[in-house]
Amino acid sequence: MKQNKDHSEEGTAHISSFRDHWSTLATLLLLTIVTVVISVFGANLAALSVATALLIATVKVIVVAYYFMHLKYDKKIYTWLILLVVVLFAAFTILTALEYYNR
Amino acid sequence: MEHAHGLHLPNSGHNRDDEASKMGMWLFLFTELLLFGGLFIVYMVYRMLNREAFLLSSFELNVWLGTINTVVLLVSSMTIAMSITAIQKGNSAQSIRLLMTTVGLSLLFLVIKYFEWSSKIHHGLFPGMDYYNGLPKGEALFFFLYFMMTGLHALHIIIGGILIGVVAYRTKKGEVTSEKYALTENAGLYWHLVDLIWIYLFPLFYLIH
Repeated sequence: MKQNKDHSEEGTAHISSFRDHWSTLATLLLLTIVTVVISVFGANLAALSVATALLIATVKVIVVAYYFMHLKYDKKIYTWLILLVVVLFAAFTILTALEYYNR
Repeated sequence: MEHAHGLHLPNSGHNRDDEASKMGMWLFLFTELLLFGGLFIVYMVYRMLNREAFLLSSFELNVWLGTINTVVLLVSSMTIAMSITAIQKGNSAQSIRLLMTTVGLSLLFLVIKYFEWSSKIHHGLFPGMDYYNGLPKGEALFFFLYFMMTGLHALHIIIGGILIGVVAYRTKKGEVTSEKYALTENAGLYWHLVDLIWIYLFPLFYLIH
């Protein structure tokens, strides 16, 4: 089948290489190791560990979304919509927590 | 439009819009995020109210099984991303192999989850069991949320595994090709979402000591 370039943008869809996928996985595994090590061997850093664990989880989520879920190469509308949902959820969560701690 | 083979409008007989189906999948994923989001808020509130109990209870969970399952899901996220690469390059056989690997990893996840749940149930920690009923309120809440949230997540794993199996079957039948792989992409998005939710469940239940 010949590659007709006049088949609009579809034909130019970005194809991630297997190599890219392996690097993404390596990054995610590394972050997993870090978070487990901090939790298991650094348990006495109690105050730090909640924030740290959630921060590392968030970095992992961003890596998955950006590379595996292809946001890096997709139209920006997807990123904006996701940010909208995230901001909505964060506002809800943070306001709830603030209400609790300020009473 | 003036193609040699005459009247072949770009869409004739095969109306489809891959971009729109992807957008549809994302909109569905947003509802999923808010579904789990609600549960995460419940977790947060009860944790604030029962700090000590949640801390104690989290030591009951097996960090190593949780870690292995995290790795299983991360690898499965890679294999499904690779299956998209394979189908884009026109390699259906490889795409099917990678999809089936993903299904295999989803089963592995469920088997490990089964052993984890069994050991908790063996200790009487499932909501409604005698031992559970005798627990202090905070600890009971921890295990209630543990079973509820990992249970809902496991349900998503089952649905995702079936969906990916369907994609593999339709790829084999030639209905998914290098020109038409939106189904593979959307199954991939769903699977990654299931992975994303686990990425938060894992530290919240197993790691935050």
